[in-house]
Amino acid sequence: MSVKYTPVQWNRNKWLYDGVMLIGVVLFLYVFLFVSPEILSHEFPINPQVHNARAFGAAAFVMLTVILCIGPLARIDRRFLPLLYNRRHFGVMTTFVAITHAGFIIDWYFAFSSSNKFEALLFANTSYTQLAGFPFEVFGVFSLLTLLLLAVTSHDFWMKFLTPPVWKRLHSFIYLAYISLVAHVSFGILQDQQNHTVTVIFIGGALCVAGLHAYAAWLDLRKGDKPGTEKDGWIEVCKTSDIENGFAKIRVLPGGDRVAVFNQDGKLSAISNACAHQNGPLGEGKIIDCLVTCPWHGFQYNVTNGRSPAPFTEMVPTYNLRLSGDSIEVQTQANPPGTYVEPVPLPDAKPQEVMA
Amino acid sequence: MSQNDKPFFVGYFPIPGQLKGFLALISVGVVLLFLLAGLVIGSTQDDPGQSGFRFDYGRQTVTGVVELTPYPILRVTEGNDLIKPGKTLMLAAAGKSGVDARAAPHEGGLVQVSGIVLQRGTIDMLQLAGGQRGLSAAEGDTPEFDTEPLGRWKLAGEICDGKCLNGAMRPGRGLAHKACAALCLINEVPPVFVSSQPVEGSDFMLITGLDGGRLPDMAYDFIGQFITLEGELERRGDILVLRMDPETLEVIDG
Repeated sequence: MSVKYTPVQWNRNKWLYDGVMLIGVVLFLYVFLFVSPEILSHEFPINPQVHNARAFGAAAFVMLTVILCIGPLARIDRRFLPLLYNRRHFGVMTTFVAITHAGFIIDWYFAFSSSNKFEALLFANTSYTQLAGFPFEVFGVFSLLTLLLLAVTSHDFWMKFLTPPVWKRLHSFIYLAYISLVAHVSFGILQDQQNHTVTVIFIGGALCVAGLHAYAAWLDLRKGDKPGTEKDGWIEVCKTSDIENGFAKIRVLPGGDRVAVFNQDGKLSAISNACAHQNGPLGEGKIIDCLVTCPWHGFQYNVTNGRSPAPFTEMVPTYNLRLSGDSIEVQTQANPPGTYVEPVPLPDAKPQEVMA
Repeated sequence: MSQNDKPFFVGYFPIPGQLKGFLALISVGVVLLFLLAGLVIGSTQDDPGQSGFRFDYGRQTVTGVVELTPYPILRVTEGNDLIKPGKTLMLAAAGKSGVDARAAPHEGGLVQVSGIVLQRGTIDMLQLAGGQRGLSAAEGDTPEFDTEPLGRWKLAGEICDGKCLNGAMRPGRGLAHKACAALCLINEVPPVFVSSQPVEGSDFMLITGLDGGRLPDMAYDFIGQFITLEGELERRGDILVLRMDPETLEVIDG
């Protein structure tokens, strides 16, 4: 959380995160660039420029595969949520690796002619009407431009400027970038490989991304947030005994939005489930120091009014609650962000819980 | 298990004790994943073949007769220890450039050429040095050379550029190299056909249009693809020249 924009708000966990990822990428590049030529022992080795391009290209593919596995893994097992915390940094790192790959390619395959190398990239192969020999470079260009766009707009300034829903939609282009990258590799290097180890790794990586997303989606369908049935503008959330102190129950509203009903020391309050930062699931968060804390990036809100504590200015909508017998009901119409709503005491709340 | 007992990670707080072991394990796993992926992908790349610039031979200077196929070749008349008389060399300039404009005025004439050899199997190319150092008219008798017709052939293989195939790029053929090959050919580097089976003792041959002109434009779409085509084959010294019939070009599936 921040009251002013700084390039990066570093903390110990971000250093650790970036450090681990950087070590992984550096090791990948080191063994690819300096160890593998010794193992290959080709009498006439692969051109250093091609070897470098392949190293950075393969690294970018593995990095993007890892990035896209983090989301579903965190949905399948919450212990992976810390990997989500600083994923943007890893995405920016991936962009730099991809730019390096493109640099080696353009400066090698498209240079040394009388034409501008960037123009040559566009006109050298124009066999767009056939599958074999299709100019696979365009898929790479699309992926790279998308990664660049996402890296440039990855800062919270852009999220605030574009609004979280637009920002989220824009950043879901990462899937298009990955699909395009898969096409880039499939129509490119894989067409010429005699050794199919890379093909197996590549297909395995892409299937891993697709499989994890499919499994997470299936889990969501089976165990995910349930829609409530509307009656006179209210829906039942759960029974009064269902919400543990400090936590929430989530319900899907008729319009598709989600509401999170929290139990804070025996009193119920409802806020939007979507964090104002990146639409993280507040209802899967926890009340820490009297504030709902988002499980993704730790943004915090007062559960009674949906406002972040001063000096922060983020706000989320609140909802009206009522009890009907032992059922908790929420009004489907949201209050404007930041609207205070008197908490509803649980009937069987012990006095000390309420006091606490 | 109560939700309260489950670890809850907040980025700006210390890592919960229950998560430390798991995250340490994941960190080691991620690092190992990258290490192994780099090692396996890097060390299973295909051998690009025995071809390349022979800088180790030093600059070679020989004399011979320029023939235009229309791509310039040199029929060597006065060689050296490495390049013997009777050898035929394809010619190219530095980078992705041919030497058509420089060679054309010397068609049928005796020239001295100087440059670096590119070698792959039975086919050789000379990358000429710039200006007069690389190609200049030579004094002496100009012998006549025969062109031996070898009849019509149907061949399977791929079209690529002669310079990259000869090792200017390793790898220098295939679909991943198609754009580079096309750029070379646009810039007048001699095109070659790589046959899947040796023909008259050679896997490679210079390829031209049926009328002996430049490679037809339609062939550019099939660079790097496994194709069959028919054409008139001829021998010029120790090099084969295939005059392709565009009507017969077919892509081989798979």
